[in-house]
Formats: sequence, C-alpha cells, structure tokens
Amino acid sequence: MKLKKRQICWFSNIDGYLIVMQIECHDISYQYPQTDAHVFEHLSCQVTGPGFHALFGQSGLGKTTLARMIAGELTGYSGQIQSRQIAEVLYAHNMERFPGWAGIGDMMASTMQASGHDMLNELVNAFGIQPVMNARFSQLSLGQKNRANLIRYLLQKFDLLIMDESLANVDETTRGRIIITLKTLFPEKCFLYISHNMMEIAKFCNQIVVLRSPCKHPQTSMISGQNLMTENNFVMKDLEQTMLEIVHAS
Amino acid sequence: MLHRRIQQFFLVYFLGLLSLLLVKYLLNLSDYVIPGPVEIWQTCKSVFARYVFNVLDTLWIAVVGHIISIILAFMVGILGRHNSWIGSLIKATAYSIQAYPIVAVAPIIFILLGDGLITRLLIAVMICYFPLLLSVIGILSEPVDSIEHFYVSTKRMNWRLQVRIRAYENINKLTTVIAGSATMAVVGTIIAEFIAADAGIGYSIRTALYQSDLSKILTALFLIGIGTSLYLTGLEWVGNVIQRKCQI
Repeated sequence: MKLKKRQICWFSNIDGYLIVMQIECHDISYQYPQTDAHVFEHLSCQVTGPGFHALFGQSGLGKTTLARMIAGELTGYSGQIQSRQIAEVLYAHNMERFPGWAGIGDMMASTMQASGHDMLNELVNAFGIQPVMNARFSQLSLGQKNRANLIRYLLQKFDLLIMDESLANVDETTRGRIIITLKTLFPEKCFLYISHNMMEIAKFCNQIVVLRSPCKHPQTSMISGQNLMTENNFVMKDLEQTMLEIVHAS
Repeated sequence: MLHRRIQQFFLVYFLGLLSLLLVKYLLNLSDYVIPGPVEIWQTCKSVFARYVFNVLDTLWIAVVGHIISIILAFMVGILGRHNSWIGSLIKATAYSIQAYPIVAVAPIIFILLGDGLITRLLIAVMICYFPLLLSVIGILSEPVDSIEHFYVSTKRMNWRLQVRIRAYENINKLTTVIAGSATMAVVGTIIAEFIAADAGIGYSIRTALYQSDLSKILTALFLIGIGTSLYLTGLEWVGNVIQRKCQI
C-alpha cells in the first residue's frame, strides 16, 4: 500500500497490518429513559481516516445523542462503538460557557499546554476574535462565544473532536475560513462536524454520515463530500450533486 | 440602602406600637398592662444607654456566631455536595437536626456549659448553621454543566475548581442566603440570652418580663430592630460589592 508522507502519522503498523484511524458504531439501539420511542434501532456507521467529517440529519434524530455516545458521555445503549487509533475524544457544543471571573484570553491560557501559545495566536487570528481576548465571556456575541469555545478545545490533546453546532451564529465567510484553517492546521486529527448547513457540509466535509428516522432502515447513509481545501475553488455541478445525494439520503 | 431599611423598620415598629396603644384605649386597659406613651418615652430615656450596650453585646456574639456558621457550612457543604455516601450522610444528618428545634436542646447546653459566652455563641451558631448548611449543600451540589463540561472532558476538573464555578455562578443566591441567615444568628443569640444567660439584650428582656415592664420590652425591641437592620445592611453592602466585582 502506497502512502503519502503526511498520512503515515494516522496509520500504524501492527504485526504487518496497517491500522487506520477509525470510529465505528455497530448495531446501536437506544431509547431515552422513561420514554417508549427509540432514538436508534440497530444503527451502524463508520468514519475512517483523519480530516473533516460530518454528522448530518434533521432536528431531533439523535445527532447530539450519537455524538455524546461516541465521546463516552452517554451510556446505556446496546451495540458497540469501537475506535482505532483514536485515544482522546472531545465533544464541544455550542451551549458551553467560560467561567466569568476572568477574560477569555486568561481562561484559554490557563487551560492549555505551555507549548500552545503559538497555536493560540494562530487560532485567535484565524477565528477573528483578537479584539475580544480581554473581554469576559458574557460580553461576547453568540458567534464570538462559539469561536472562543472551539479554540480552547483545539488547544487540548485530542484525536477526534466532535463539533456540535460549534460554529452556530458565525457568518458564512468566517465559518468557511475557520473550517479551512482547521483542515490545514490539524491534518492528522479527525473532526466530526454537526451542522444543519447542508452546503457547508457538502463543500468542506470528506465523509458525511446522514442520520435518518428510526423507522427507516438502515438508519444512516454515507455520502462523500467535496472535501474542499479552499473556499471558492469548486465545481458547482459537483457540489449540487453532493447536496442532492444528502437530500435523498435524509 | 440603610436609609430604606431603617425607614421600613420605623414604619413597622411604630405601626405596631400604635396598634398596641389603640388596643389599650379601646379596651380601656390599665397602664400596668400596656403603659401610656409618656411612660414608654420616659422608660426609654432611662434605659436607652444601658440597652444600647446590651444590644451591642448581643450583636457581636451574633456576628461571630454567624461567621463561624458560614465557615462551618461551607466546609461541610463542600464535603456534602457529592452524591457519595459521605454526601448523603451529611445531608441526612443536617435534615434530621434541622427538623429538631434547637431551642429545646438549649437547656441541655446551659446545664453542661453554664450560662457564659460560649453557650450563647454555641446556640447562635446552631440555630443559623443548619439552614445555612442545607442551602449551601443545595447550591454546591447543583452542577453547572455548561461550564463544567469542558473541564470534565479535558480531565482538568478538581474540587476547588468545581466549588469555585458553582459558587461564582450562584453568587446572588449565596449572598441572599448568608444575609438571610444573619437574622437567624441574631434570633439564636437572643433566645439563648432569654433562656438562661446573664448578659445581652435577651437577658434584659427576660428581666423586664419578670418585672412585667412592657416599656422596657418595647425599648429593647426597638434597639434590636435598629441593630439587626444595621447588620443586615452591612451584609447586603458586602454582598453587592462581591456581586459587582464578579460581574466586571
């Protein structure tokens, strides 16, 4: 198997077999406590390799529930979630807040590794929150809050970062720039992006897991995205094709 | 703040006094039962200075008792915030003791420790400690998921950070609870003095009761009200300063 130099870091060689970074959900069934309705019935899906992947679906189909299961924050389901070459899973969502006793710059600095200052500066500039680094979290706009929260997660040690609506309330241009920055700065990491913006997902994501209603079988469908590395360099026809596939799958 | 609180107290106090005098004149009660306004005023003038010192004596015990209760409540509350067996044990014990009237236990404390300062302090602490503890446990055991999630996920959470987050997020509740428990501390001290102590305004009220001197009791109540208002206003001021600092 011929590998590019950059890919070697996310493959490992054990007993002559190449193990690829992968997260696999197998035969997952789950219903919320004290309810009769199943959220998942024999759900199976997988995401393979590093890069920017997506979990897409209508509201209420269980995207957050599945994300929390993958992150190990939710138990009590049947089936298996297996990961390979993924030791650290983090789950960031858009309802999170910083403690209010210090500015967001100080709070970020207090929770990152000593070697992370260059990365912090790079992310702060790319995410466009430099002017508010001394402000308290409560003084930020919703979009700034989400960007600040995402930055502090990116400064942590992780193999898979689940971003649950982490770029909500951020304008489209900035969102695109942020996603491309993530793909450039963290090529060996795996991202699972949850968003309702179909065009954004079709444009920037590599593998798209489309979640369907529990009455449909299979409950997930896998679509290949355009996985663009630049914002405007795309063929409209291909993008439309991907979006159509997502619509048909959901 | 002080101005408003004192005004409110004056209004309530003089309405009460007026009602008492109204009852006296409507039912034609003798001065022995309810003294007239002139007698009340003269008694007030004669005992005022002594009663001011008695109120100050009571207040400082109440303040020290209150501070001890706050420290104890936070120390035990930090332990009791967990859902572990120790947390459950602390909560169950606090609920059981809270349900028991401390006043009923007070005579035992007087028998064992005498009628000195320690006894008054202990009763004041016991009366305001348990309600304070239950409130502190309730506040500190409530997770602030939106903030704590990051620290739990990244394994950076420790007990100090957890307590800091929860206390900071509930600073308004905590300051209200602390200010509210101050009244309990004052009440506790006066009860202790009333039962068996040999000093303080509670002791003066007991003496006045034995003399059936309502004028002295009314003067004592007036000064207790003023003293408590001053203490509560001081606490509210400190609470507001803390809240303002937290919101910067």
